[in-house]
Amino acid sequence: MEDYKYLFKVVLIGNAGVGKTCLVRRFTQGLFPPGQGATIGVDFMIKTVEIDGEKVKLQIWDTAGQERFRSITQGYYRSANALIVVYDISCQPTFDCLPQWLKEIEHYASTKVFSYLVGNKSDRASQREIPAYVGEDFARLHDMEFIETSAKEADNVDSLFYDIAKELTRLARQNSLRSHVSETDLSGGSTSISSISSCCRFS
Amino acid sequence: MAELCGCCSAFKPRYKRLVDSIFPADPQEGLVKSNMDKLTFFAMKSPEKLDRIGDYLAQRLSRDVSRQRNGYVRIAMEAMDNLLVTCHAPTLNLFVESFLKMVQKLLECNEPQLQVLATSSFVMFSNKEEDTPSYHRRYDFFVSKFSAMCHNNHQDMEDQIKTRLRVAGLQGLQGVVRKTVLDDLQVNIWDKTHMDKIVPSLLFNLEGSMERAAESPREEERPCDVAETVFRDLVCRASYGTINAIIRPVLMHLDNHQLWVPNHFAVHCFKIIMYSVQAQYGYVVVEMLMEHLDQNIKQDAQIKASIVNVLAETVLIAAGGSIGPTVLEVFNTLLRHLRLSLDSDTSDPQKKSDEKNFQEAVINTIGEFANHLPDYQKIQILMFVMGKVPKVTDADPSSNNKEVLLQTMLMKTILKVATKYKTVEMSSAFPSSFLEPLLKMSMVPDSGTRKIVQEILQTLLDRHDNAAKLKTVRIPKDIVQLDLTMEEAPRQDFMFMKKNGSLFYWHLYENMQQSNNKVDNYEALYCTMVLLLLEMGGGEVRMELLRLALGIQKMAIKNSLPVTHQSAILALVSAYMNLISQLYDIPLFCEHVDSVIAARTKKASHLLPDIAFNRHNTSRSYPKNMAVTDDLLFDVDVITSALEARGHDTSRLSVPFVTRPSGLDAKSKPYTVDMNISMSDIHSTITDFESATTTPILVRRGFSAEEITFDSMKKILEVNPKQREEDEENRRRIIDSFRNGPFEEIVAKNEQRAQQIQDKVDEILAMIAQPQHSPGGSPRKPIIEEESVPIYEIQFPELFVY
Repeated sequence: MEDYKYLFKVVLIGNAGVGKTCLVRRFTQGLFPPGQGATIGVDFMIKTVEIDGEKVKLQIWDTAGQERFRSITQGYYRSANALIVVYDISCQPTFDCLPQWLKEIEHYASTKVFSYLVGNKSDRASQREIPAYVGEDFARLHDMEFIETSAKEADNVDSLFYDIAKELTRLARQNSLRSHVSETDLSGGSTSISSISSCCRFS
Repeated sequence: MAELCGCCSAFKPRYKRLVDSIFPADPQEGLVKSNMDKLTFFAMKSPEKLDRIGDYLAQRLSRDVSRQRNGYVRIAMEAMDNLLVTCHAPTLNLFVESFLKMVQKLLECNEPQLQVLATSSFVMFSNKEEDTPSYHRRYDFFVSKFSAMCHNNHQDMEDQIKTRLRVAGLQGLQGVVRKTVLDDLQVNIWDKTHMDKIVPSLLFNLEGSMERAAESPREEERPCDVAETVFRDLVCRASYGTINAIIRPVLMHLDNHQLWVPNHFAVHCFKIIMYSVQAQYGYVVVEMLMEHLDQNIKQDAQIKASIVNVLAETVLIAAGGSIGPTVLEVFNTLLRHLRLSLDSDTSDPQKKSDEKNFQEAVINTIGEFANHLPDYQKIQILMFVMGKVPKVTDADPSSNNKEVLLQTMLMKTILKVATKYKTVEMSSAFPSSFLEPLLKMSMVPDSGTRKIVQEILQTLLDRHDNAAKLKTVRIPKDIVQLDLTMEEAPRQDFMFMKKNGSLFYWHLYENMQQSNNKVDNYEALYCTMVLLLLEMGGGEVRMELLRLALGIQKMAIKNSLPVTHQSAILALVSAYMNLISQLYDIPLFCEHVDSVIAARTKKASHLLPDIAFNRHNTSRSYPKNMAVTDDLLFDVDVITSALEARGHDTSRLSVPFVTRPSGLDAKSKPYTVDMNISMSDIHSTITDFESATTTPILVRRGFSAEEITFDSMKKILEVNPKQREEDEENRRRIIDSFRNGPFEEIVAKNEQRAQQIQDKVDEILAMIAQPQHSPGGSPRKPIIEEESVPIYEIQFPELFVY
């Protein structure tokens, strides 16, 4: 009766006021809430998308950017399959805080989490403070994907989440395949130590 | 599939038909009760079908959710609840899977009503005990989702719905905890990942109670109240290993939300924790708070002070033995912080006052903590703190400033602890390793510290709450006015004074001479002296104190102290004499004291407390030339003869006050100074020998022998080595007899001795029965003395009553 093939947890993080909540609501509900207040603690949304004919369910956890909620939001990084780090292209300080966020991720999230760097509010071209290539460079340097979005104009929002879903699905398929392979490997009974260690390294 | 079979329901399996039948045509009508009963009956009769029923119900429900047919969703949930409550089969396990899937489905949708519904179903499920554990069930989603609900703040919702969602989230969390905590095989709810979500969510809602306390209670449950209940429930389930999983997020939350200053909420939180936590783990909380204090060592003094305040409140609740093992650790940490705070040098007045508050808070906490310890541990603490007192060297006065400050602080700390201690026996209140450094501290240059030391002595000496009545130096006509309480001191105290009395006397004597004494100091010294008299002033001790007073008088006249000091000392002595003479209750003695006081009133009123201890004195209050004639002083000879007439052994009194404390290191500086004075005192009775050149000779008593008269020589010899030898001999004999003698003999001897004592007691009692003037009573016999002091309300110890 499962109505989906894969379930992924996606967590949004970033400074207060960069538009995390707006991104989520644009994606899940297709609307842009003007005058959205600060998120308190954590908010939760769900959205099922179709990737290659398979239903993929995204659990989206939208965290508060405010410092004081850091203790609770950190609890949510850990179980995430993908992290979306958001900054505001018209606000330099939100970009400057990115290293700090990466440190948080390193500290609290699982080791190999898929992370995406998002420069939001691309509609504010006239007030842009961070050129796109700066963001791109930063993302490449830290082994992240990069995209610029606008929740207001619904620009790139869907492609962001679809991209994540696609990538996660690919990884999941790969993993299941791999675990399948290693299972048969082990069931052979005569596995050498080296093959086990290679397995471990592989996964 | 259901649609496919829609037209031919007869071909469906029985359970599907039963499930379908509970849904009415119109969802408004609600669950079809009769059909529900049939379904329940069927499920109970054939429990193996239960999992398939659950599966089918869940399927229907998820379809209805996606079509937003909320009426049917409710009905499906109600049916699920009913089945869950009524069925006890082992196959329930699989059914529960479907059930939880449904709950999750509802929680995922955006409809607040459905979320609330799902939560209440979950709470109901959490109350149900399952007989088979399920190892694979996971609650991650529920914890995350319920925590998110606790924070709900959607703008497009009404307040009421928001509140309901928050309450639902809180209850859901409680459900998860309840479900998982009892079974070790289940998910470990105490894991960091869960607690980091649960605890902040609870605290976040709990905080509301502080903000909106004034608001009138509404009919529905307020999130803060629910949060408090849930939090209490959580804390009381915590065990030794898991309590820190709760406390750590609490501390983090308080840090992150900057709730330490002001600390109402922090106190509130920790009160809840301490009242809910199992008593034996209370000290873990205390420990964690201290650790947190350590981590915040660099923080603002304000924050630290708040933490310490919270610690104080916590310790108050963690009463009794539960905090035993870490007691010293607590004190160590607090003292370290005290020290660090003193070391931090700031010129900013704001910061300075913050630091000061912090220090106060630390001292108060130590006091509160000590208050909750058993008495023997209090003494340990006193000794421990004493051990932390730095030794101030005279070498470098600049760096000493801080040391002196620390000394003062530690003395204040000791005072705080000592105040909480209830003295029973002097020897246990003043173990020598505590008494000696304490008395040494009474000699520090800082007069404020000296006063505190005296206060420590007073609070430890004072068993009958007399100290407060002795704060001012007065000369009442009749000391009944002072309303003092007295009691016969127990024998152990005499032993104690025999051993340590000279220490007390000497330090009091020396303290009198400190040139930077203030009125406060003299008052404190007076109080200590009187307390010694009241608490242990029987027989010899009283005589010694009388001797001390006379010694002080002599010192005051001979030494070149400022007029103010001299007057204060003499006034103090007069008040003391008044008291002691009335205690002796010998008319001649009293008359003498009265006449001296009368003479002073007439000729030299500045030698009486009313003026000498007046804080508004100017130099005009004192006469220009300070000639103290003999009639203004207390005369040793008069007093001696008065006492002798009553049969008191005054042989000691005629010996000038020799202030050498026995068993003290003569090398340390103050003591050699003392020796000069004391020796010159001795000389003064014979020759006017006062020259610095003789000092080196006087350091050792033996060398000065040729300058001392036969009498005093004899005294010294008698008192010291001979007696000691005798004592030694005695002890040896006793030990021998016990070691070598046969048991029966020892028993017989002891019985005989008991008989002797009995006889003696009878004899004494007989004497008391006789008229008072019987000369037989020696000063050693306290009963007779008491008898001769009728002014007091005599409280016989139980021993005497028998």
